[in-house]
Amino acid sequence: MSAGTLIARRSIRARWGRTLAIAFAITASVSFVVGSFVLADSLRATFDNLFQELNANVDLEIRSAQQFTTDDARDPIDVAVADSIRGVDGVAVVEPTLQRYAQLLDPSGKVITPAGGPTFGVSWEGDNGISGLTIKEGRAPNGPGELAIDKATADKEGLGVGDKVSYLTDSGTFSGTITATVGLGSADSFGGAQLTVLDLDTALVNLGADGKVDAIDVKVADGADVATVQRSIERVLPPNAEAVTGAEVAQETSDQVNQFVDVFGTGLLIFAFITAFVSGFIINNVFQITIGQRLRELALLRAVGASGRQVRRMITLEAFGLGALSTVLGVFGGLLVARGLIALFDAAGAGFPDTSIVLEPRTVIVAAVVGIGITMASVIVPSRRASRIPPVAAMRPELGFVAMRTRRLVAGAIVTMVGLTTFVIGLFVRPGGTTGLIALAGGGALLLFLGVASLSSTIATPVTRVIGWPIEKLFKIPGALARQNVARAPRRTSSSASALMIGVALVSSTAVFASSLRASLVNTLESAISADYIVTDQSFQGLSPVVSEKLAAIPELDAVTPVRGVTGQVDGNTKNIGAVDPVAFDKLVNPDLLQGTVADLGLNELLLQKDPAKDLGVTVGSTVDVTFQNGVTQTLTVAGIYADATFGNWLISLDTLAEVSDAPARDFFVIAKLADGVGAATGDAAVEAAMAPYPQANVQTNAEFLDSQEAQINQLLLIITMLLAFAILIAILGISITLALGVFERTREIGLLRAVGMNKRQTRRSVRWEAVIVSIFGAFVGIVVGTFLGVVLSLAVPDDVISKLAFNPSIIIIILIGAVIAGLFAALYPSYKASNMNVLEAIATE
Amino acid sequence: MSTPAPPAPPAPPAAPTTVVPGGTAAAGSIDARKTYGIGDSQVHALDGVSVSFETGKFTAIMGPSGSGKSTLLHCLAGLDTLTSGATFIGDTYLASLDDKALTELRRTRVGFIFQAFNLIPTLTAEENIKLPMMLGGDTGDKEWIDHVITTVGMGDRLKHRPSELSGGQQQRVAVARALASRPQIIFADEPTGNLDSVTGAEILSFMRNAVRDFGQTIVMVTHDPIAASYADRVVFVGDGRVTGEMIDPTTDQVIDHLRNWD
Repeated sequence: MSAGTLIARRSIRARWGRTLAIAFAITASVSFVVGSFVLADSLRATFDNLFQELNANVDLEIRSAQQFTTDDARDPIDVAVADSIRGVDGVAVVEPTLQRYAQLLDPSGKVITPAGGPTFGVSWEGDNGISGLTIKEGRAPNGPGELAIDKATADKEGLGVGDKVSYLTDSGTFSGTITATVGLGSADSFGGAQLTVLDLDTALVNLGADGKVDAIDVKVADGADVATVQRSIERVLPPNAEAVTGAEVAQETSDQVNQFVDVFGTGLLIFAFITAFVSGFIINNVFQITIGQRLRELALLRAVGASGRQVRRMITLEAFGLGALSTVLGVFGGLLVARGLIALFDAAGAGFPDTSIVLEPRTVIVAAVVGIGITMASVIVPSRRASRIPPVAAMRPELGFVAMRTRRLVAGAIVTMVGLTTFVIGLFVRPGGTTGLIALAGGGALLLFLGVASLSSTIATPVTRVIGWPIEKLFKIPGALARQNVARAPRRTSSSASALMIGVALVSSTAVFASSLRASLVNTLESAISADYIVTDQSFQGLSPVVSEKLAAIPELDAVTPVRGVTGQVDGNTKNIGAVDPVAFDKLVNPDLLQGTVADLGLNELLLQKDPAKDLGVTVGSTVDVTFQNGVTQTLTVAGIYADATFGNWLISLDTLAEVSDAPARDFFVIAKLADGVGAATGDAAVEAAMAPYPQANVQTNAEFLDSQEAQINQLLLIITMLLAFAILIAILGISITLALGVFERTREIGLLRAVGMNKRQTRRSVRWEAVIVSIFGAFVGIVVGTFLGVVLSLAVPDDVISKLAFNPSIIIIILIGAVIAGLFAALYPSYKASNMNVLEAIATE
Repeated sequence: MSTPAPPAPPAPPAAPTTVVPGGTAAAGSIDARKTYGIGDSQVHALDGVSVSFETGKFTAIMGPSGSGKSTLLHCLAGLDTLTSGATFIGDTYLASLDDKALTELRRTRVGFIFQAFNLIPTLTAEENIKLPMMLGGDTGDKEWIDHVITTVGMGDRLKHRPSELSGGQQQRVAVARALASRPQIIFADEPTGNLDSVTGAEILSFMRNAVRDFGQTIVMVTHDPIAASYADRVVFVGDGRVTGEMIDPTTDQVIDHLRNWD
């Protein structure tokens, strides 16, 4: 074994506390990274399997064609098509499928809401070897008085075969006897969804399908060639219908679901990398300090003949060993994290079908790159410093390090500026679309943090003196010691506070973003919308048109419009188009019209926001050709141009929408306004009465709507803070270990203080408040940087989302209180260590 | 090893690279000057020191605190650099060496014994002794190392860490390490400064025996007349200059010399 390896190994073993802290930071970061990957990969594999299993017996599916890929529902297909397919040679089983909104009611008539999933009513012709549904108990429903439900819901609600139950659909309330509990494949539930299963004829009526189904599944006869049957079926299909294989459908469906998995996985990964970044700071700081403490040892090595390179290699080896070991632990930790999260989702009602954990080689490689990479990168500067320790420092430690102050400041300033520029370019110029935005804005922010961390040492002394002032007044000598100890090593103070700074900066930038979002929403609700009621959907499937029809019929309401949506393509570019009732919309919303009118928006006419109008070069009277997913192309005439983009950039009337699309109508939400002279109480009662049968419709007044939006915004803030919890925990650990190393360095000094009469309690206090000052300093810099980033971020968001900047002082106060608590936590171990020193030994320490 | 062209000062007496008992200089300095600070606040730690140390002899450098004796030792050993003048070990001028060559020189041709903090705390006594060889990637002369270890009497404590050894034992390990690579010269900086007189005498005996029995060259800085009496020769330093010397000193002679100084 070479001397370098030997010393590196011994050093890891000899400095347990430090080694554990570093190992914990790396392991936690790697676990988070691995967990994110494993979770996403496992979910992806699960959904792939699930849809393959569900479609395993479907050889062909007949459905409406789509001109371009969109999340819009396909147009339904006439159930009569099924009959013509039955006559085709080689077709064995034909099963029309239908899926609409349906929700079970409890005996008191209230809806039963699953914990996190949607509620569906589906048609089922029984176990004919084609459907993915499997009977867990009982027999398939047959006739209007019967239904089956999924086993998970049955178990949860205490329902079983033979029980009578009511269910709600778009057509009304129905009841029936449960004849079976069913599952999907091997699972008891489908991703937490609540299932009401009816036979086809009942479903066509009760689910309000109007004689049309979503698709028709086909199983070919044994020995028949699927491709041949497919060609034969295509010959009898109506125009704009297509026959595709079950495998294709499975792939499409899982791709669709996996889009969400991807977004979710990427989100987690971003926070995992933030955690890793924060760990880097801690590791760097710890190595920096321990190299200071090992100054004489390293100088001695140089004196007896170790070259600078050997010293550097030794430190690097030590870091590599730590990084590699922790990476291995982190991979296992990541598997646990993924398992834990899946268990958590399951507990929350997601009901994943047996998710098997998937560990891709790619995950292990990334884990190694992150775990070892972060450690090695953190140790570049400390190891260079170590290699430059002159051998003479073995006898004269004061000659140890050469000051590099000015160079550091210049470098810090440059990094800060580059980071800021990159961040701003990423947000405002957005080269390379979303990927470019994330890479540039994210990379820029990280550089900015690095720069600020190194610059903040210049303000550490004055700022911590101010923070420490009240503490000194309050706690006298221990307070004064704490204050001085923080101020005397500004570099160390700023680097141990930096990790916390990053966490706080991210929380406070989100806070600014969130309050601006809220303020903009208030602004919009006050100036652009004069609605008294906003009805939103709670079924995840859009509101039934019945809701707006019922509301429109109430005399207490003057104007009611649903807001529907459809996607269309203009010159090959996909646009989101909103559809509203023009007369009611005119009374409810002020879109800041520049040309034309809203109320007169007629059939095949279009209202256009000024930006797309400018891009297309159209004015009132011009025409635009729009192609819809079902292949219909309609020429729309521009009837008006408006400025306020709250309701999107393209608006058509409901009549025009009906003209171009056969897809079942679903509303995003409905807005309504009281008639003149009708009081709020009268209106509330009338609306409540009309909506009683539609619990999926969530009626809110303007103020309630704002409250619920605010609750969602706060939830976002909370989730982001929770995702940063790992990083913040590591930051606290960092302050703790830095302080513990500091206490160790000051052993003699503390021994002296104890010898001349400072008691244990005062010793603990001085260390404790030192930690608090450091963490408040970190929080302070974090709030300043974060608020700035939040402002830039809010400015970069389009005006229809954020039009106004706002700040939330209460969050800043919460963060500062949190910082004090974090400091107290961080001080637990170091203060114990300091107060329990043996005074005699401490004084004897050289 | 290359022999560079001598710099401005006259060439030193030709020194053999191998140890020849009773031979000429193993190391020395020519008009060595070391200055700290600038202008009025200039301090001359070394103010023109020319001295040479004979091969196979035990030389002590004595002087009061601040006399420049430690600085002289550091510069002779290549741990510190001069402002002007030259130092040499054997036929090598140290000023001509870059950091890499200096490191190589320290590892192969020089041994060190410091007053304290001689040992790497995480390594065992044995590993500390072999450290310079290990750094060079070889195992050294095993027979010789065993001989050295037996001589300093550390055979039974080889697996102990420095923290498990007494001060005297730690210094014995340091002596063994310095001897283990058979360096051309050993520099000792107050090697007994932290020890009681009995233990100190033991260490000094080891050093004197190494000179007598192995022909080792040792240069030792000390302020202790008793320690100096173990040497073959004492060089007195004051205010950055050589102020005198004494051959085969006794403790009393040294004390007398120091008394006359004041």
